[in-house]
Amino acid sequence: MSLELATEASSVVLQSGAAGGAALGPAAASAIAVGLAALAAGYSQRGIGAAAVGALAEDESLFGKGLILTVLPETLIILALIVVVLIGL
Amino acid sequence: MSTPEMDASAGSPGSSNPEYVTARVRARRGVLFDDDEYSKLVRMSPAEIARYMEESEYEQEINALGSRHSGVDLIEYALNRNLARHFNALLGFAEGQLYGLIARYLRKFDAWNIKTVFRGVYTDTDSEAVETDLIRAGEFDDALLNQLLEASTVEDVVTVLDGTMFGDGVEAAFEDFQETDTLVPLENAVDRAFYEQLLGNLPSGEAVALYREFLQAEIDFRNVRNALRLARSGADIDPGAYFIDGGRLFSASEMTTLVGNTDELITRIRESRYGKRLSEPLNELETADSLIDFERALEAVLLQYSRQLGNVHPLSICPVVAYILMKEREVTNIRAIARGREAGLSETAIEQELVIL
Repeated sequence: MSLELATEASSVVLQSGAAGGAALGPAAASAIAVGLAALAAGYSQRGIGAAAVGALAEDESLFGKGLILTVLPETLIILALIVVVLIGL
Repeated sequence: MSTPEMDASAGSPGSSNPEYVTARVRARRGVLFDDDEYSKLVRMSPAEIARYMEESEYEQEINALGSRHSGVDLIEYALNRNLARHFNALLGFAEGQLYGLIARYLRKFDAWNIKTVFRGVYTDTDSEAVETDLIRAGEFDDALLNQLLEASTVEDVVTVLDGTMFGDGVEAAFEDFQETDTLVPLENAVDRAFYEQLLGNLPSGEAVALYREFLQAEIDFRNVRNALRLARSGADIDPGAYFIDGGRLFSASEMTTLVGNTDELITRIRESRYGKRLSEPLNELETADSLIDFERALEAVLLQYSRQLGNVHPLSICPVVAYILMKEREVTNIRAIARGREAGLSETAIEQELVIL
C-alpha cells in the first residue's frame, strides 16, 4: 500500500520535473501530506479498533468509550485537511 | 514449517493480535474476585459459596454441574471447568506468535492431567473420579484424554503418551518407576518435559526476553520450594531428582549440597537477583520458621512480578500470562476457602492460606 503510494508520488515528481516547472506543485504536495496523514490515522486505528472490539466482546456497555477512542486518531487527517484548504486551494 | 502450536516462532509477529487479546484479558482480569469478596467468602459455608458463585463468573458451570454434585465437590468441579473454559477461550481468540506462546504455557495443564492420571492409576481410583479432576485447558484433545483415562496400569499410560512431547521423558523414567515403585521419577519427567518446551526455541524480541526471565524466575522459585521442602522433611532423597533445568539460581549439583545446609541456601537466595523482592519473606522464614508462609510469599512475589511485566509490555504475552496466573490463583483461593470451611478451620487460618495481591 505504501509502496504504491511511493511510486505514484515519484511519477508525479518526474512528470512535473519534465514539464520544467517546480518539482512538485502545491496541490500535489498537500495531497501527499493528506495521504500520509491518512495512512498514519489508519495505522493507529488498527490497534485501537482491535482493542476496542476486544473490550466490547467482554462488556457491551463499553461501546461508547470504544467508539470514541477508535475515532480519536481521525483528528490527524482532519488537521491534514486544513493543510489542503490553506495551500491547495 | 509446523503448526503454530508446535513452534512459537512460526507465526510472524505481524500476524498476532496482542491489542485484541490484551483488551479481553484485562476485562476478564477485572472481574476476578477482590479483597472484599474474599473476606465475604471466608465467612460463608460451602453451600453459600456455591450460591455466591452462581451469581458471578461461575454461573454457567454451577448450573451445569449443580444437579449432579453438591457442596465442596460442586465448587471444585465448577472451578476446574471455569478455568478450562476461560483458557480455551484465550486460545480461541489469540493468533500467530501470541497463540503459540499461550499454547505452550497452557500445556501446564497437560502436565497436570498426566500427573493426575498417573496418581489415579497408581492408587486404583476409578476413572470417573479421575475424570472430574482433569482440567481440559491444555493441548490434549478429548480422545487422547479418554485414552489416558481408560489406561489401567502405569505402563498403559506411558504407552498412550508415546508420541506426545512427554513421551520420551516418561518412557525413560518408567524404568526408574519399576525399580523404586514411586511416582516421583515419572512426575519429574513430566515437569521437565513441560519446562523444556516452554523455554526452548523462544522467538526473539525485548518483550519475549523479559518473558523468558519471568519463566526462569518461575523455575527458580519451584526449585527453591522443592529444596526447602526437602531440607525440612529431612528425607533421604536425592534432591537432584527434583531439580528442574532452566533456572538461573543454581544447578542440580549445587541444589544437592544446599539442601543439606538451609542457612547457606537462604544466604544464596538473599544474594541472588531475587534477594530484594524476597528479603522480607526470607526474614520471616528465618525468625518464624514457617515454610508455608514462605511458599505463599513466593507465589505472591511471582504474581506481582508477572503483573508488573504485563504493565511494562502491554502488547505481548506478558499480560496474558499474568492473567493466567491470577485466574489460577483465584481458583486455588476459592478451593482453599471451601475446603477450609468444610474442615471447620477458623477464618484467620483460612485467610493465611490465601494469596491476595
